[in-house]
Amino acid sequence: MENIPKIELSKHEHKPLQVNPIKLSQPMGAALAFMGIKNCMPLMHGSQGCASYAKVFYTRHFNEPIPLYNTSVGDITAILDGGDFSILMAIENITKKNTSLKPEIIGLCTTGLTETKGDDVRNVATHIEIPYCYVNTPDYEGGMESGWALTAKALIKQHTKETIELQANKLLLLPHVSIQPIEVEKIKEFCESFGFESYALPDLSTSLDGYLSQNQGKLGTGAIGIEEIRELGTCATVVSIGHSMQIAAKALLEKNPNILHLHFDHLMGQQNNDNFVSVLMKIRQIQPKSFIKRWRGRLQDAMLDSHFLIGSSHFVITGEPDMCVGMCELLQSVGGTIDAVIATTYSTVLERISAQNVFVGDLEDAQIYFENTDLVISNYHAERLLHMQERDTGLILRGFPNYEELGNQLKNDQLYEGSTYFLFEVANKLREVKYHGKHN
Amino acid sequence: MVSRAKIKELMNESACSHNKDKKKGEGCDMPKPGMAAGGCAFDGAQISLFPYADAVHLVHGPQTCLGASWETRETLSSYAGRNHTVMGFTTGITTNDVIFGGDKRLKDSIDYIVAKYAPEAIFVYSTCVTAMVGDDIDMTCKLGSQAHNIPIVPVHAPGFVGGKNLGSRLAGEAVLEHLIGTKEPEFTTPFDINLIGDYNVTGDMWEYLPIFEKIGIRVLSSLSGDGRVGDIRTAHRAKLNVIVCAKSLITLCRKMQENYNIPWVSVSFYGKRDTSFAIMEIVNALGDEALIQKAKEVIAEEEAKLEAKLLPYKKLFAGKKAVLNTGGNKAWSIASGLQDLGIEVVATSVRKSTAEDKEKAREYLGAEGILMMAPASEQSKIIDEKNADILLAGGRSLYTAIKKKISFIDVNQEKKVSYGGYNGLLNLAEDLKYAFANPVFANVSKKAPWEEE
Ligand code: SF4
Repeated sequence: MENIPKIELSKHEHKPLQVNPIKLSQPMGAALAFMGIKNCMPLMHGSQGCASYAKVFYTRHFNEPIPLYNTSVGDITAILDGGDFSILMAIENITKKNTSLKPEIIGLCTTGLTETKGDDVRNVATHIEIPYCYVNTPDYEGGMESGWALTAKALIKQHTKETIELQANKLLLLPHVSIQPIEVEKIKEFCESFGFESYALPDLSTSLDGYLSQNQGKLGTGAIGIEEIRELGTCATVVSIGHSMQIAAKALLEKNPNILHLHFDHLMGQQNNDNFVSVLMKIRQIQPKSFIKRWRGRLQDAMLDSHFLIGSSHFVITGEPDMCVGMCELLQSVGGTIDAVIATTYSTVLERISAQNVFVGDLEDAQIYFENTDLVISNYHAERLLHMQERDTGLILRGFPNYEELGNQLKNDQLYEGSTYFLFEVANKLREVKYHGKHN
Repeated sequence: MVSRAKIKELMNESACSHNKDKKKGEGCDMPKPGMAAGGCAFDGAQISLFPYADAVHLVHGPQTCLGASWETRETLSSYAGRNHTVMGFTTGITTNDVIFGGDKRLKDSIDYIVAKYAPEAIFVYSTCVTAMVGDDIDMTCKLGSQAHNIPIVPVHAPGFVGGKNLGSRLAGEAVLEHLIGTKEPEFTTPFDINLIGDYNVTGDMWEYLPIFEKIGIRVLSSLSGDGRVGDIRTAHRAKLNVIVCAKSLITLCRKMQENYNIPWVSVSFYGKRDTSFAIMEIVNALGDEALIQKAKEVIAEEEAKLEAKLLPYKKLFAGKKAVLNTGGNKAWSIASGLQDLGIEVVATSVRKSTAEDKEKAREYLGAEGILMMAPASEQSKIIDEKNADILLAGGRSLYTAIKKKISFIDVNQEKKVSYGGYNGLLNLAEDLKYAFANPVFANVSKKAPWEEE
């Protein structure tokens, strides 16, 4: 690996273009966040194409109908309108055409086009009766992870009431974008087992989670609604999971400075979960339920069972920064060697990863590392690249998009429980490629 | 730049049947806020040109345009070199480029691509932001083309000009302006055709190309299924343009008729009848008696072979009734395929169809058939009244099938096998066979123990 030119971790790109990109756009993250709000109408402010791509993308990833609307900014409106007109007309047209549609909140995100022409989207709220939340998400800045986080922040900033009161057992989770629907549910239940009344923002646990129902794909069906968002200021505890979500936690503290803020870069592996459990114990002054203790034991068992395979193996991880950090630390805790982390966008959390190569890049950059490692954790696009290469490198599919497998929304890598499954999945895959692969 | 006059001309295209029943000045693709669904013009342009595997397709824009869309199409290619259609290239512009312009980045990207991938050509797509900022893409492409001595084609179809159809037309314009007529073919035959508008999704073209070969029809170039840029440059020497299910490219064909005197026919290859009809249209247009005779023989032979293979399916499907809810030309082309298999199509959706598609649907379904204008609300009732056995529709209609306890096929889902040509019918038959036999829709319609009967 010595002769591979080193790419430094930097906010600035190291080449003029992206070849086989892994970065996804801010408005896409924002749209997904709005789907995690109950009866929300996610509305992209831009030309029709952006929303269409996002819709197809999520439909294929989740295998669910996706609720997503757009303001269809056209040639004429692009030049004449300052934003209000097309947004208001869009809301009117959509609700007129589909009278059964009763959104309780409209979630608007901007796109590169409407940001470039400098639309002011703030004032729409004064013209409509439905609650309205806007978020500025130009797609020439940030990425999916920041778009999702900015949306959580905007919801709190624009809708949560200021207060100084606290409800001792009320807790808010702020999960980063790569946490899948089932994982949100698991973390919520985990907290509830300590006697918390727990909320998540956004909350995909009842949205895109594969649940069969009749009116699918019209509005967001997340487990948190506008009424609950308004009252989030009374949460005694807020837990941000993932560095990107700290901005949302800060926004909440501005609503009520008495709230206790706990932050975890991730909830994978023994160490972070031990920390998580100990603060929950301290706050509630109780012992964890026995299922939690048992899962910790199972995780330790999995660590021991898998340490030989993982400890003698090399890994390359690509994806959103908050996801990469957790996976790195879990694999390193059982001796895995991380050859490279290739992230979609820059985040300060990447500075904390101790691996030989950590940088922002694309799958063109990743290829040389793919060819020299045992196992890759990446998205759907890595599949073909690995297929074409000489060396038999294993692939675990994580992150967006995954068009290859079904049931993405039910993959669970969080807490003691998910980490256990994750280690076994990695070890089994390693055994397959190292001992039963095409060159054996 | 995108010229306003050109867009107007394309939107009012007289040869486009979308416009028949529209008022003057009101062309296709005029978006009403909130009402436009489906891909943008850039999407349409990419769909039309992307299958050129020997070219690199560079998207000059921010992340949304390419980030979510690369490597999503099953447009197969037999290209022996590095297949660029499964790759994604974007300048991925950032705030800096929005403020200061993205020309420098575009130039550097072109240089990078030529040095590292040495493609036969580069298509550079403008998108909303780079068009709005006013990057001089034409100039950058021109200079790049001169410096590197390969065609570098600017494609001006930013999303805000309209929908997919318009984008596809704009892509046609780019090809006409920059590629067609820039190279001579090595040799020509009297039976050279250009295939226009088939993108070889799941290998659709490969279902009928062997039949062409048997008859003696040569495909000189393709726009753009399994196509090569080198070939499309010679397209002006073809004897006939064959449009496959793509009204948006009629403008291109009309212009090629004006400029190069090449006539065109419009055909489709779904189902037995359409395939045979398409072949006869082509050979008749080429007008050679011996060729026509040969085509008739080949068709008779192929149809006989197919009939023999279809026999067991026809037995299986006897008496079955289907309701079809899908858009555009699928409304009649899939209907035609189902009928070829002996299934009665009792209703089809014409909600978004053009006048021409409606006519065709009526012709295929006969006087008894129901043309649904509001399928979402109509289909349940029709399934009951007509006692239909299967619903073929998009994923959103799955629930209807479950409620009615009948079989279901998601016709909008990315398919992995072709339904095109004669053999595609066998693939459709296989899918139907399994769908009819599958108890899953009835099973999941069962009540939970805690629900009232
Ligand atoms: S609408 Fe514009 S910004 Fe959106 S995908 Fe299409 S070209 Fe790109």
